[in-house]
Amino acid sequence: MPGRRALLACAFLALLRLGAARNTEEPASCTLVVPRSEWRALASKCSQHLKLPVRYVVVSHTAGSTCNTPALCQQQVRNVQHYHSQTLGWCDVGYNFLIGEDGLVYEGRGWDIKGDHTGPTWNPMSIGITFMGNYMERTPPPRALRAAQNLLDCGLARGALSSNYEIKGHRDVQQTLSPGDRLYEIIQKWNRYRE
Amino acid sequence: MRKARLWGLLWMLFVSELCEAAESMEEKCVLAEGQTLTVLCPFNNGKYMHSKKAWQRLMEGGEIRTLVHTEETSGKPSQVQVGKYMLKDVPTESALHVTMTNLQVEDSGLYHCVIYHPPREPQILFHPVRLVVTKNHSDTPASHESSTQNLAEITTTITTMSKLYTKPRLITKPSPMSTAVISSPGPRDVTNVADVFRIPLFSIVVPVACCLLTKSLVFTVLFAVTQRSIGA
Repeated sequence: MPGRRALLACAFLALLRLGAARNTEEPASCTLVVPRSEWRALASKCSQHLKLPVRYVVVSHTAGSTCNTPALCQQQVRNVQHYHSQTLGWCDVGYNFLIGEDGLVYEGRGWDIKGDHTGPTWNPMSIGITFMGNYMERTPPPRALRAAQNLLDCGLARGALSSNYEIKGHRDVQQTLSPGDRLYEIIQKWNRYRE
Repeated sequence: MRKARLWGLLWMLFVSELCEAAESMEEKCVLAEGQTLTVLCPFNNGKYMHSKKAWQRLMEGGEIRTLVHTEETSGKPSQVQVGKYMLKDVPTESALHVTMTNLQVEDSGLYHCVIYHPPREPQILFHPVRLVVTKNHSDTPASHESSTQNLAEITTTITTMSKLYTKPRLITKPSPMSTAVISSPGPRDVTNVADVFRIPLFSIVVPVACCLLTKSLVFTVLFAVTQRSIGA
């Protein structure tokens, strides 16, 4: 009797450890990203992959129109993609992810493909996330900021961001006003921000 | 005795469940003699576009030796080489590229990139780099691989929390490369150095708390079972 009990206990322990150790399915926060198919993206022509995990996240703003509903934001993401791919001739929308004032994250090039959001030094070693709008004088709503944080948690959980990843503002790494004075002030207070 | 065996088992499990320790802020790089070290030190574009930069070595005894420094303050890209040390400052890209060629065992030590404006105190860029140059064997794997192996050994008593936290990128296969790179821009030859890093306090507290919670739950259960079995 006692022997069997001990065996049961060990089995239980093993299961517990296994359960805790396994993390094979997509982390919860990653399922909230709006996939390309949903916002009706044009097919990407990009082929250059990022070497994961990356160490840096560059936060920018589009300096363009903002949107506050899923319908409007889907249209806005398509607009940005159109501008980048058709007008500028890039292989796809430049950013890895775009964040709308609807509080949703839109998949751009994603975690695996090198973006065209900063420059030749930073693009291959960072994930570029952008807030859709101009944040020189306005701040993104809390739901957009939460969405960004959630996205970064996702990146960390799936190993796309290294455990010691750092956040930089676009203006920290290039001569630009992006991500706008107000948004820059906000990200400087983020846990992972490093000048 | 059954009782002793059970307690022994319990104790073993306790010892094996070590929580991940806080890591230091150094960037560790292990290379073989003859290889080249490449480091990319980012710097703040707005602040340091027009500043001189330097690569310094922290000697034993506290002396800080400047090995090479840039002269250009116009904001234009510049390159300077002193022996085996080379600096390439690209202000428009906010990047300082450091190269140390033909490494020797004596080069092992602690280095850092700085904003160089004597007599003012230099500003440290990026993270201090702990360089370890090993004697040449027939086929020494590239830097980050060796240090990942070291790390893997150290953290074999890895916790469940650390598994949850990061994918097991520590256990990577060695690839034959003569140049070891830390945060280099080129996608093909970028190899991330396995670093030992300070995790922000929050990310220590949560795993530790969770670790303790899991452990206490497990032990409560086992304790109850053990007591029952001893009683029975």
